[in-house]
Amino acid sequence: MTDGLTNRRGFLASSAALAGTALAGCSGGSASGDDTLTLGVLEDRSGNFALVGDPKHKASMLAIEEINNDGGIDGKQIEVFDPDPQSDNQRYQELTRRAINQKNVDALWAGYSSATREAIRPIIDREDQLYFYTTQYEGGVCDKNVFAVGPTARQQLGSVLPYLVEEYGPKIYTIAADYNFGQLSADWVKVLADENDAEVIGEEFIPLSNSQFGSTINRIQSAEPDFVMSMLVGANHTSFYEQKASAGLDVPIGTSTAMAQGYEHRRLDPPAMANIYAGVNYMEEIPTNRNTSDGGFVDRYYEKFPDAPYLNEEAENNYFSIYMYKKAVEQAGTTEQPEVREALESGITYEAPEAPDGESIKLDGATHHVDHHMWVMRADDQHNVEAVDDRVIPETFLSETVGCDLTQEDEETQYTPQDFYEEAG
Amino acid sequence: MATETSGAGPADAGDSGALAGLRSRFEGPNTVGNSRGFWVGFLVAVLALAAYPFVVGSYQASRFSLFLVYAFLGLSLSVVWGYAGVLSFGQVVFFGVAGYTFGVVSVNFATPAGITGAFLVGVFGGALMAFVLGYFMIYGGVRNVYVTIITLVSTLVLHTFMAQTAGDEWTIGEAALGGFNGMPTIPNLAFGVGGASITFSSMTFYYLVLGLLVATYLGLRALVNSDYGRVMVAVREDEDRTRMFGYDVERVKLAVFTLGGALAGLSGVLYAAWGNYMSPGVFELTFASLPVIWVSVGGRKTLLGAVTATVGIEFLRNSLGGELAFVIVGVLLLVFILGLPGGIVPWVHRTYVEMRSDGATPEPPEASAEVSD
Amino acid sequence: MVNGLNLLFQFLDSFAFIVLAAAGLAIIFGIMGVINLAHGEFIMVGAYATTLANIRAGLPLPAAMLVGVLVTAGFGLVVERVVISGTVPNALSQRFLGRKVIEPLYDRLADSMVATWGLSLIMVQGVRITLGNSLDQIGTPLGNIAYSGFSYSTYRVMLAAVALGVLALTYYVFTRTEYGMRARATIQDEDTARALGVDTERTYMTTFAIGSGLAGLTGALYAPTITMVPGLGSSFLVEAFVAVVVGGPSVVLGTTLAGGLLGAINATVSNVLGTFFGRIALLVTAIVMIRFLPDGITGFVETLRERRQEGA
Repeated sequence: MTDGLTNRRGFLASSAALAGTALAGCSGGSASGDDTLTLGVLEDRSGNFALVGDPKHKASMLAIEEINNDGGIDGKQIEVFDPDPQSDNQRYQELTRRAINQKNVDALWAGYSSATREAIRPIIDREDQLYFYTTQYEGGVCDKNVFAVGPTARQQLGSVLPYLVEEYGPKIYTIAADYNFGQLSADWVKVLADENDAEVIGEEFIPLSNSQFGSTINRIQSAEPDFVMSMLVGANHTSFYEQKASAGLDVPIGTSTAMAQGYEHRRLDPPAMANIYAGVNYMEEIPTNRNTSDGGFVDRYYEKFPDAPYLNEEAENNYFSIYMYKKAVEQAGTTEQPEVREALESGITYEAPEAPDGESIKLDGATHHVDHHMWVMRADDQHNVEAVDDRVIPETFLSETVGCDLTQEDEETQYTPQDFYEEAG
Repeated sequence: MATETSGAGPADAGDSGALAGLRSRFEGPNTVGNSRGFWVGFLVAVLALAAYPFVVGSYQASRFSLFLVYAFLGLSLSVVWGYAGVLSFGQVVFFGVAGYTFGVVSVNFATPAGITGAFLVGVFGGALMAFVLGYFMIYGGVRNVYVTIITLVSTLVLHTFMAQTAGDEWTIGEAALGGFNGMPTIPNLAFGVGGASITFSSMTFYYLVLGLLVATYLGLRALVNSDYGRVMVAVREDEDRTRMFGYDVERVKLAVFTLGGALAGLSGVLYAAWGNYMSPGVFELTFASLPVIWVSVGGRKTLLGAVTATVGIEFLRNSLGGELAFVIVGVLLLVFILGLPGGIVPWVHRTYVEMRSDGATPEPPEASAEVSD
Repeated sequence: MVNGLNLLFQFLDSFAFIVLAAAGLAIIFGIMGVINLAHGEFIMVGAYATTLANIRAGLPLPAAMLVGVLVTAGFGLVVERVVISGTVPNALSQRFLGRKVIEPLYDRLADSMVATWGLSLIMVQGVRITLGNSLDQIGTPLGNIAYSGFSYSTYRVMLAAVALGVLALTYYVFTRTEYGMRARATIQDEDTARALGVDTERTYMTTFAIGSGLAGLTGALYAPTITMVPGLGSSFLVEAFVAVVVGGPSVVLGTTLAGGLLGAINATVSNVLGTFFGRIALLVTAIVMIRFLPDGITGFVETLRERRQEGA
């Protein structure tokens, strides 16, 4: 019986200790203390966008770990609030509210699709939360709380379209996903064609749920373009590349969406992606020292995540924007969001992996967008990817055409090319 | 024929005449819970829900109010399916149409009066859509099984259509439909005119929804236990026989379907006001299946089952994060639908009744056991 | 002339897609009265098994496809025993609790929808957790048919022949084999069939396995043409359901006619107006067909035949 008593006493003691530890652990999870700050990272790791969202999450964790190991931001360690929104916009809304109201995040990175951004923008604007949107998108968001640091359609298409016109000729056929991003990108193709003495001879918009492209391929063949501009989005649309290859369609294709985000050149059998030109600010294969040299971005990423399948475009956007945030906080001397916002608007630069040695990319304070170093990356018959062109393309739509200046005037709108260009209408 | 007061336990004989009369309106064979014990429990639950925001804070209350908003959608399916026998996948169609209508009208007329009007127009829009679709199907003689498929296909048509309304030409007044990206900046709900108006957000919104839900639940209880309710159930059980008794079955089904559309529309309007956002995602297959799941698990032939299961399942889904979340939800669905096919609430009720009748005072034969099986 | 050839290939492509998407579902829905919302996921299992067999195990494509079919059929068998008929849980509960706990899902449309919906959630997420967000894809074999500036993938056109083959095989199985006779007896009148000695339980089990195997075949056949992500099944679901409903109660004839009609409409409208309108046309046709022929095409034919017999 003594055994039983000791056991019971022991059990009581250990459970008390356990409870105590548990309670102690419970005290965290609130606003940034004196020696920590909290960043919210809401990226999809399941659901429709898991393929492209997962690298974003991973690269964010890499940046945060590197910064913490280096002493943190202004001596403060970074804590992270990173639940999985599961590609569900309602969850995004709910998690955004939680991040702002419960976790009091000092800055928020959230969302892959534009729909997600638009779903949470009302909350962001209501709470005046500092928010980084890091996916490539159609462009035009002029919002005092939003820093859209991914490349815009104008930047991406503006890098690849002129190159292809010079290489192949002026007749363009556009195929795009039938929703906001695709339609607006197609408008940009028309504007850019006009600026480059080229002509859009045909357009087709394909519903996101469609995965059968027989008639599309035939239509392209009948139009006989010099090259095709493709803004197809999503897993269903990826089937287009396989189907066009098996149909023997080998017209060159310029794209802003394929390869860099969903690494189709790794997943599909060659030569599905042969002769495809991606206009992007970043892909795992871009040939800069910061990216591909020993100990460079790619090496560091795979050291932390040896099982990751690819390091995609948006991952780099998350990575450099976290470092830009660090710079801004250190410049402002505080984590208070209005001051940090001002610091960001003063024109922060950073030596991002997408820029060659000696160059850095700049966050334009007036428009909250980035003047990216753009690359044209071509995949060959064996799906080897090489760079054929590169240069810096500044953001011009908001700054020059629309006249969006967030340092002067607070705004919360999204502009589209139709209002400004005849060609797009 | 069961009388109006059947189902009232002998323990309630002590109630005063007025209270018994009031209660009898809400009790009957078609709903669960016909004893004083039930109403006490109901009151406790309502009070607990009313106290909830003070316990957990406004953020959690705001989060919970979404689940209460969904409860209207669950109720709409329960009414249409559990009580009239029409399994409709299309409740989200009325939900979405009402939400978008509310969005369009309230963005254009962003005054409290305008928003009140938007609210009414939105709910009406949902009901109207249901009326049109219902007329097409019911008077076309489409059998119930294929009504399910037609409503499912309608959902998909709307999704494909709305997802491509991205361009500027899809703007009604000031409100851009927004296509796949959706329509943001929908204002909060407000009732009243000018100065004498209230705008609802967070806590006040929670109480508004809770109040509406309780009122709607009681109203539906009264409806379902009334004579008209018996006709509804008769239609569900055997259409031909009911027709032979001289009832206009098509008219009943259409009326119930329209009511379901109004309820779904109410849910949609509240939803749009909750998130200040509306997108074609509500027309996706995944979301369209949710009401069927809620109501099946809760017990489609009971209103209480619809409400509790909706809130419970959504709360669970929302709280679970991480990789295994979907797996857990899937397993739970399987377990519940296989183990308790009639739904949780009827099972709980049956068990409770059995326990009560073990040695306690004898109950009059439960007519509910025969009709609402 | 050339556009006619285009249209022909597009039609064959569309026909094959619709028929192959619907085949397994039609059998399960028509014979067992179970709506399998996890049908898309069964297709996914077939596609994944085929891809893994081909790429990781190095099997040649036809062998890999066979593997895909068998794996899916086996998986279907397990699902049938555990979820649809509940035999396994019931056997266990009989042992430990002395009674059965689960009713079979046959002819319970709504309940089978919920159960298979739960199943599909488990399958998609389970595959995502174990195999990642995507698999490398098999290339499409067989090159293309080229004609005056146009070309079409030979493989995709060949799928139309395969679809017809599947239909013919299904017809043969259901009319010429023992199993087929038992299955049709069970559909017509389960109690009488059982009274006459038909083991209806085994019939249902075999039917579900066959239906799953067909879904697996669809996945195997389309594996070289679509992206291998866990959610790939959802792109087949709409066409499958629509075809099953428009087709009506007769499994083989209904699916064939539905595939022909919907495929023709989809291909023609897509050819002339683009894929968006093609899809809308498909969905609207379905709604209209159901409105005017609530029993589907073959149901309508049945009614006509009955009416003519009565009139004669």
